[in-house]
Amino acid sequence: MERTELIASLKEILGEENVLASEMDLTLYGYDASLEKGRPDAVVLPGSTEEVSRIVGLAYREKIPVIARGSGTNLSGGTVPVRGGIVVHLSRMNRVLEIDIPNRTVTVEPGVLTLDLQNLLLKKGLQYAPDPASQKVSTLGGNFGENSGGPHCLKYGVTTNHVLGAEVVIYDGTVVWIGGKCPDHAGYDITGLLVGSEGTLGMATKIMLRIIPAPEAVKTMLAIYDSIEDAGNTVSAIIAEGIVPATLEMMDNLVIKAVEESVHAGYPMDAAAVLIIELDGMADGMERQAEKIFDICKRHRVREVRLAKSDAERAELWAGRKGAFGAVARLRPSYLVCDGTVPRTKLPEVLGKVIQVGKKYELPIGNVFHAGDGNLHPLILFDERNREELSRVHKAATEILKICADVGGTISGEHGIGTEKLKEMSFIFSESDIDFMRDLKNAFDPVDIWNPGKVVPARQAATA
Amino acid sequence: MNITQLKKLSYDEVAKCNKCGFCLPNCPVYLVDGKESSAPRGRNAITRAVIEGRLEWSPEIEKAIFSCLGCGACTAACFPKVKTKDLVFRDRECLVNEGLYPRIADRVARFLEEQHNISNDENEERAEWQEMAKEIPQGALNKDRADVIFFVGCVASFFPMAQKIPVNMSKIMFRAGVDFTVLGGEEWCCGFPLIGAGMSERIKTLMEHNLEKVKSVGAKSIVFTCPSCYHTWKHLYQPDVKLFHASQMLNELIKEGRVKLKEKKVRATYHDPCDLGRNSGVFEEPRQVLKAIPGLTLVELASNRQLSTCCGGGGNVEMVNPELSAKVASMKLEQIAQTGADMVVSSCQQCLRTIATRAKRQKTDLVVKDLTELVVEAME
Repeated sequence: MERTELIASLKEILGEENVLASEMDLTLYGYDASLEKGRPDAVVLPGSTEEVSRIVGLAYREKIPVIARGSGTNLSGGTVPVRGGIVVHLSRMNRVLEIDIPNRTVTVEPGVLTLDLQNLLLKKGLQYAPDPASQKVSTLGGNFGENSGGPHCLKYGVTTNHVLGAEVVIYDGTVVWIGGKCPDHAGYDITGLLVGSEGTLGMATKIMLRIIPAPEAVKTMLAIYDSIEDAGNTVSAIIAEGIVPATLEMMDNLVIKAVEESVHAGYPMDAAAVLIIELDGMADGMERQAEKIFDICKRHRVREVRLAKSDAERAELWAGRKGAFGAVARLRPSYLVCDGTVPRTKLPEVLGKVIQVGKKYELPIGNVFHAGDGNLHPLILFDERNREELSRVHKAATEILKICADVGGTISGEHGIGTEKLKEMSFIFSESDIDFMRDLKNAFDPVDIWNPGKVVPARQAATA
Repeated sequence: MNITQLKKLSYDEVAKCNKCGFCLPNCPVYLVDGKESSAPRGRNAITRAVIEGRLEWSPEIEKAIFSCLGCGACTAACFPKVKTKDLVFRDRECLVNEGLYPRIADRVARFLEEQHNISNDENEERAEWQEMAKEIPQGALNKDRADVIFFVGCVASFFPMAQKIPVNMSKIMFRAGVDFTVLGGEEWCCGFPLIGAGMSERIKTLMEHNLEKVKSVGAKSIVFTCPSCYHTWKHLYQPDVKLFHASQMLNELIKEGRVKLKEKKVRATYHDPCDLGRNSGVFEEPRQVLKAIPGLTLVELASNRQLSTCCGGGGNVEMVNPELSAKVASMKLEQIAQTGADMVVSSCQQCLRTIATRAKRQKTDLVVKDLTELVVEAME
């Protein structure tokens, strides 16, 4: 199908104003929050499942790639159209369709912003737990596609643990329902397969999520360390003790300094590392748990533990963590976030190696991450406009992921594979593993229209 | 401005945008339009692509760049604090150079050149509102020399809905014994609309005239009810006299006991005008004035201070794309409604006009007042 013909057909489905095809628009839908770049043939903004179904039906008949997109905050190229095609921007499908309190479910369209839903639920004393750092702007459709995590996922689990079902448009435009309100479902767990599939298997047009009561009490503390190993060992020890805090976040000295210079959260500039430990749940017994954590910290030579005494103090402690990414981003124009995950007992060892990688490639690297999950986020700082530096960044990132894979970890904690980490898939999967994924993808997508070029490496690339 | 100059001024700034998207939910235009070209991140990407030669100026780009409200909420949400507003206004300079700009801007530029005001009336008519300030004796408003110049601004001088602002501000200053004057027909537009229009080089004549007037009056300070005039004077004119926004002066007068306030039972919320709050850093003084009114309960909007949502009246958008401006104003009305307040107070004639006009069109019974009006009511 000629491009002009494609655009005319799309306009017939969606109306003139919801089809974008100018040079400008094609440039603006060619990026996400990663360093990857592409270019679609057209961009559409559907308002209903029926419109999505008709777009996908057309794409299937004409074998044109379809790429779902929410706010485009994803970090590994998941929404970047690398083989042209139609970008489906779901921002207009942003209604909360049902809040079912007795059954503890909420059903939303994919364009609802994560924090908007959370704020709405909080007014009713309820919460949707997964809290990606981008929650203020990320969409629930995007969280579904990327299986997003966040600080509180240590205790509550990642997105997939909170998705009960979805209305999904499949490869030929047919609309199906997977999962539902019942806790257990007959047949295959297709929901589990689709969450985190980065739009390579289908497109969710309604999502049913689990909601839980908001916690009765919260306790937040900041533990300050003179050595990064002691901080890392504290993390393992807390979990080993049988305590599951709501969050266990860690920042290293480069980040602490950057944070203090911009956010002024009250972190000591000379600390080697800090941990933000938050407990939530029932008020009863929380005091005792906090004391236990305090003891563990002391055993690991903590310099000081500060307990937030008010909501304002708690907000201040978190301001440092939430502003960390950005504070570091001020040091250089660009950054790349590596998203490796390791068994938490390996944290101190891996952190040491990450520092070595930074030295080897002469790149500043800051560490701010979900320590409780062993989910590292080394931030490599550079200037994207400097090509030589950019090539060193890519090499350093690959090396960091190799380090994670070699200690029994994995190449992504929550940011997905996209295009950015295709070549690293071989670090953790054998050729037969990947072949099985190719077969699976083929079963869901016989004509290869769903976000092609993502997640599963092409055969030649994998063997090269 | 051409692309070489643009690259020199904007490239390093725009390279700081990491495309994280945190600006999106803060941008009123993106919230009502939902397209990437309406998002600050999208506008940054346009600027960068043009500088790098990947895009050429086009009518689509013109539309995207001229639909920015210049409210600065994106920068407030941005970690590296990318100054998208400045980038956009520079893009506009380039677009004007290319002949790609809304033609209505030519009319405004001509009005400013010929009549020195935005409404194309005889500039002497700037004094029209004075007829409504009956309690002030003839001559007291128009002195040759005074400590303070009250710079009224075009909108409050010529638009009937906003004329009560200078009337009330003058009443307050007169009753408090402030030695002030207005410039009448000798006040020329500060040139602010030209910045948003991408025609900032045309400001020079206006600026020179206004600065000359300040000298001849021998004033020690200038007070503005218009946040945009205040902002332009503060950042562009930078004269060697003190500059106050009305809310700052009111706060001082109340603290010194020169303005006394009686009880007024009302539940009010305060809307931070972009050019006063975020862009000039004046957040607390208007709130202190409100809190000084006995019986007034101040309820904050969910998005306040640095994160305040523009009323829809910024960046010349009301002139260029009234439909878009109205959609943003409707969103603002919803936010106001969520506070449960009976009244919204602002300290900007443009916010007052935009919000009050939309409230009237949507037939809500929301009361919209400028801070000066509320203070006069509380004085009586």
